[in-house]
Amino acid sequence: MSEQQPLSQPLQTEEPLLNDQEMQFWLDKAVAWGQADSPDTQKDTCLHMSRLRDFLQQLLTQVNSMSSTTETMKRLPFLGQLLGRLCWNPYVTVCDTSRGLLLGCLWELYSERPSNAVEQKANQWIRKVLCQLSTEEEDTAAQALMKCTGVPAKEYHLKVLRKKVALLQENVGQSCTLFNSQRCSCDRIVAISEACIPIVACPEASSLISLLLQRPVACVTEVLSEDFLDALTSAYSRQGLALEEQALVSLWYHSFSSLEEAVLSLLQSVITTGLTPQKLEQQVAQSLLTSISVKAFFPQSPSSLLVPLLTMPSEMPQGAWRNHLNWLSSSLQRLTEEEEEGDGDGRSTRGHHNVFEAWFLLVQCAHWVQVAVQLLVTSGTEDGDPFLWLLIFYHYPTNRWHHRASQLARAKEAWNHIRTLFSGAAHPLPSDRLQSLVTLVSPQPEQQSLAPSLTVSLLVNVAVFCQLSPSGSAEVLQAVVDQSGLLDEAACVLSSLELRLNEGSCLSRDTVHLRIKELQKTITQMHSDGT
Amino acid sequence: MEAMLKNLASTVEMLAVAAQSDAVKHWDKQTLSRAFHWARYCEHVFSRFHNNAAIRRIMEKQLQLTNQTLRDTIPGYTEVSFSDLPRCQHLLLVRLLNNPELPSSLMKMLFDTARPVKTMHGEYEDVTGLCSHIVQCKSVYKVLSPLADMSALGADAEVQGEMLMERLEALLNQGSETCRAEHFLGSVLQGCEGALQQFCVVIAAALLTSKNCAAQTAAHDFLLDWLQKNHSLLQHMCSLLSPTLLRDLAKEHQKFRDAFCNVLKKWASEMEYSLNDSEWVLTSTGPTVSFKKLTELFLALFEASPSLKGGVEKELNALKISDGDFDVTGLSVWGDLLSALNT
Repeated sequence: MSEQQPLSQPLQTEEPLLNDQEMQFWLDKAVAWGQADSPDTQKDTCLHMSRLRDFLQQLLTQVNSMSSTTETMKRLPFLGQLLGRLCWNPYVTVCDTSRGLLLGCLWELYSERPSNAVEQKANQWIRKVLCQLSTEEEDTAAQALMKCTGVPAKEYHLKVLRKKVALLQENVGQSCTLFNSQRCSCDRIVAISEACIPIVACPEASSLISLLLQRPVACVTEVLSEDFLDALTSAYSRQGLALEEQALVSLWYHSFSSLEEAVLSLLQSVITTGLTPQKLEQQVAQSLLTSISVKAFFPQSPSSLLVPLLTMPSEMPQGAWRNHLNWLSSSLQRLTEEEEEGDGDGRSTRGHHNVFEAWFLLVQCAHWVQVAVQLLVTSGTEDGDPFLWLLIFYHYPTNRWHHRASQLARAKEAWNHIRTLFSGAAHPLPSDRLQSLVTLVSPQPEQQSLAPSLTVSLLVNVAVFCQLSPSGSAEVLQAVVDQSGLLDEAACVLSSLELRLNEGSCLSRDTVHLRIKELQKTITQMHSDGT
Repeated sequence: MEAMLKNLASTVEMLAVAAQSDAVKHWDKQTLSRAFHWARYCEHVFSRFHNNAAIRRIMEKQLQLTNQTLRDTIPGYTEVSFSDLPRCQHLLLVRLLNNPELPSSLMKMLFDTARPVKTMHGEYEDVTGLCSHIVQCKSVYKVLSPLADMSALGADAEVQGEMLMERLEALLNQGSETCRAEHFLGSVLQGCEGALQQFCVVIAAALLTSKNCAAQTAAHDFLLDWLQKNHSLLQHMCSLLSPTLLRDLAKEHQKFRDAFCNVLKKWASEMEYSLNDSEWVLTSTGPTVSFKKLTELFLALFEASPSLKGGVEKELNALKISDGDFDVTGLSVWGDLLSALNT
């Protein structure tokens, strides 16, 4: 703190201090919390914790700006009382942040060089409070035993805490039983989970919390309240949670927002570090997300689509892929038609909802979209329209906002161009075809261009599965990529295609393998030429 | 050995400095860490040698010398005994926090919410946040303690009972020096002066620990014998503890059951009928127990041991008969007791 001002000088007043009413409010709260120990008081305390933290932060800033403790005591006469009471409130002292703020405020009242009796007394009081907080023993028997058995206080308190946690775990482990009054014992568990809200981030409580999360759901009583799950989720996002794997998975199971949180942070880490597809796979596998049952997380998705989409291509014979995708494509088309029909009467939210859920599910199961592209490309004379439609739907799910129909037309055009370029019939490459393709892909001022990822997907797949020689295929790809500037996208699609083919051991034909190698060589060359 | 004794003496001197000297004013983070390091050293030395009678004696002698010197030079000096050594860090902390000369910067460090830094090789362990952690631990317990759990005694009483038993078992294990075990129990009792009920709860918790091993059975036995020798304490236990707890104790230990039964009979025999209150009142010195309570306790006893019930009722009946066998209230405590028990 800055040098003290003698009291005879007028105090420099700036903006009004913290609202007197606010101070009174918190003081009343602190008194009320200290007097009762009922579940209601506990609940009230928990509800006010984040507001209290904000208040303490404000207080800290305000007191910091004052020039001396004497001034502070004059302007905030009830500050000492408030802080003193809050120090003995375990809900305040249990959380690192609020404890830190509280102690910070206390230290602001400490004077390195006390200039009068008030400041000296304040110093003494602060030291006393802190000493009592950490070393005072209320339990006489505990004190006597510690002295006579040689067990230090820290060890004793840790033992008692662990014992309490163990006893509560026994409670939680009990299955639901009905009492005489027909109220089941789950009420006690609810109380436990509520009580754990302020201590979700404490490592000592983690075993209890894990047990609460993994307790089998036995009866109607909702044991884990929203507040409890919210507290866990926010602690998780601050990386303040120390839960074992299974418990974490259970948390995701109970709370969709916590799963969202986990997915978003995973995506964020991917985006910021720029991982290659291989590393991404590793990262995802390492995160627990793959170990959870996806079905449990998509209750809104149309059930008829759920299993077909969740089934991996590797889980069914290759020959069945075509029919499978035909069916998927037509089901999704039907959904979009329903949505568009419903658009007219204004009760169309259900339709939109369905399309969204189906599209969202498709995005989670994008492996089928990749297969669709592969089948489209290797279709030959058979009808590849459903596959193209699926690809378009993936990128442009609606007409109203994404202009799916017009994009489909554009895609068909691009597809024609690509096919021709890779047919081998033309040599050298027809520049008009090439130009048209490039035009379709490049961003235009008036119209929507075709998503690069879509075109590149088609392009690379055709390059891999066409009938051209490896060098021939590479030549065409190079020309297109060169002119359209889609080098990075092409590299990405190629490596993920290779990964998928390797995994599914669909690499039956050496020619495909050779082509891939040649294409990779070309791209690498282009990369180094470009830099 | 010499080095160890020297270190021991130095640490005790350091504790004295920490408690009262304003030399503490000049301590910094390093000094503090070093102080705790040496306190930890003493704890370690204790755990290593406390079972070695010869070395223990030497260390005690050293402590005696050091204490003497310090007593002579420092007014109000608090001695450090051998049995204090395992709590050396705690003693240091208490002394420091009570010393007004401890720099506020060091206090702030002890209460910092930050976690201690990992110690580099050759450095003393960081004590940042030491007090903060203690406060947090206590707070977590306070948050959880109102919740109902499976224990009849409570987590703290259970732990205290376990601590008592552990020490008792260790003392009894060391040989035939039962006087040390008795001394231990005596000092705990003394330490609980003014909190007799708490002490009784601890004894109950100790008797209800269930490790099912020979050492524990022996310790339980010893404790029960000690209780019986301490007759007034036994009476206090029977009057202060809840009937449920007493029932559990009687169920677990026959010795207790018998002692309990004897206490109840003794109380009944010492009761007199008060015409003013129209009820039986215990007039002797010792705990006050109402007739109603006495009845409850008898019922608890019978619940613990149904086989005992018949025998006791027979006894009560015989006593009633010797009192004249009247069925009028207020004439025979035995008769009134019998009728109260059978309603």
